[in-house]
Amino acid sequence: MSDQAAAVASDATERCAIGISFGNSNSSIAFTSPDGKPEVIANEDGDRHIPSIISYVDGDEYHGTQAKSQIVRHPTDTVAYFRDFLGKEFKSIDPTPCHQSAHPQQHESTISFTVQEGTEGEKSTLTVSEVTTRHLRRLKNSASEYVGKEVNAAVITVPTNFTDAQRSALMEAAKGAGIEVLQFIHEPVAAVVAYDARPEAVVTDKLVVVADLGGTRSDVTVIASRGGMYTILATAHDYELGGAQLDQVLIDHFAKEFIKKHKIDPREEARSLAKLKLEAEATKKALSIGTNASLSIESLANGIDFTSNVNRLRYELLSSKVFGSFTDLIKQAVQKAELDLLDIDEIILCGGTSHTPKIARLVQSLFPETTNVLAPATSPTAIHPSDVAVRGAAIQASLIEEFEMADIEQSTHPMVTVTAHLAKAIGVQLISSDESNCIFKPLLNTETALPARRSAQYPAPKDGGDVLIRICEGTREIKVKKVEPKPKAEDEDDDEDDDDDEEDEEEEVREIAWNVSKPIAEFAIRDVKPQGKIEVMVSVNEHLAVQVTAREIGGKGGVRGAVEPPQVVENGA
Amino acid sequence: MSTTEAVHLPLPRLPEGWAAEDKDFKAVGCLSAATRRNVEPVGPHFLAHARRKRHRRTFSEDERI
Repeated sequence: MSDQAAAVASDATERCAIGISFGNSNSSIAFTSPDGKPEVIANEDGDRHIPSIISYVDGDEYHGTQAKSQIVRHPTDTVAYFRDFLGKEFKSIDPTPCHQSAHPQQHESTISFTVQEGTEGEKSTLTVSEVTTRHLRRLKNSASEYVGKEVNAAVITVPTNFTDAQRSALMEAAKGAGIEVLQFIHEPVAAVVAYDARPEAVVTDKLVVVADLGGTRSDVTVIASRGGMYTILATAHDYELGGAQLDQVLIDHFAKEFIKKHKIDPREEARSLAKLKLEAEATKKALSIGTNASLSIESLANGIDFTSNVNRLRYELLSSKVFGSFTDLIKQAVQKAELDLLDIDEIILCGGTSHTPKIARLVQSLFPETTNVLAPATSPTAIHPSDVAVRGAAIQASLIEEFEMADIEQSTHPMVTVTAHLAKAIGVQLISSDESNCIFKPLLNTETALPARRSAQYPAPKDGGDVLIRICEGTREIKVKKVEPKPKAEDEDDDEDDDDDEEDEEEEVREIAWNVSKPIAEFAIRDVKPQGKIEVMVSVNEHLAVQVTAREIGGKGGVRGAVEPPQVVENGA
Repeated sequence: MSTTEAVHLPLPRLPEGWAAEDKDFKAVGCLSAATRRNVEPVGPHFLAHARRKRHRRTFSEDERI
């Protein structure tokens, strides 16, 4: 691989890299302009979300939207939904999405499709990687035309559970299309990068849920974002849940209406069904924008035309069960990460299905008000959900475009990526206004990749004087309070003081509370001025050695100290 | 990352009789064991992390360059 890749790089004097998001249903391409702004590229048809479909009619190759419309007339010569087949064996695939187009079949150790490529003669057998190569070549050509020079490298997004075999198959297929794959990055991480790379974004420590609601599958990922570094905590996948299920709801709805009028079921004939599916999808999209949408199909079945309407309310009612599955999948992922819904700071909805306003609102109602739901229906600053991943890929492409291939490989090696993460939060013990309660405030949160360094400013008591700074470890606890009576604590995983176990199903308020679990270091700052402020900086290295510095702002000197790493390091380096 | 966060809760007062032999600093414990996880090799901050790790630099060394 390396010598071929080197050849590609040396032939073209300069590398020109783009971001590619390659999905089962749609693909997108994006380029980062010299001023650092990612732009999603529209192809010749003007599409930014290009259907991952290739079709052959009378010896011509059609791609994208043009190929998609061929499903009705030339279903057997149209190849669609092939991304997940790459690098897989025939017996392990689910061919359901291809039911209406060319069927996948076993071909040696891989999967192929048989299509009439030329005008006459024998049908040709295209392996899935050949189809992918052709698809990527079309994408590359569209990008090259837009950029104005030959695109020869890319960062491609893949699902988190893409196997090594799938990666190398995709790498090979891309090479066939003249694209050097600089790096594969995970789709949900690309989404977080796309948001974090916006000029107005502030890098903070947060827990992000990325819900990628696609056409034929949905993936939810929980990511700890700490100081701009991302760690995947849990993932949940559903290979049957996606926009196609919502299409089916509309197909069934309109089909029933048609049956009532004409006593014919349009779902029984392949061609009628294909027409209905194509239009139902368009109607669904229209319902994300307007509250009413129409559907009209000429000669749907038996030569009968069909025109009908549906409003958003009706559609939301019909598909409430599917919507519920989306929120269940999100809950499942959060649970898998051993977190609570309260812990989540941000939710990024991406994938075409996230355009549905009702889904965004259901997700919002699932989480507390403080959680930011990034979807067009709930946030005015949201990025177009179908563009999020590809933008992230384009940003990463621009970051590593100049790197040597060997540098990229070294940087992505487990030696570099696998690091120690804090198991417990480190923070400073503070007091609330009544001076009796101790409050823990995390400075370095759990799951922070090490080495890490954070600093914060804390006010001294009003009249100043000597101040104690106590660095502790803390654990997070979910407190369940009843609204009116005395506060009641319900222990989740830790031993806590107040515990009166009355099981009341009254209205409860659940909130996060921090408990000090273990003090690490104490130090004093003497003679702090009234209204003074103290800056504390904690830095933890990979071996869990802690360095603490504290000084009064505007004051002289300061206190410095180091805490030894734990003696028995079982899990650490 | 050396972004400074501002907190609005006050620090506790030094209790009477608190003393430490070494410059007002006392180490009283050590951290719990860390977990090993995979960081996603994406984004500018990761690239900075990778650069530090490959050249075995610390934060401040890296900033000086």
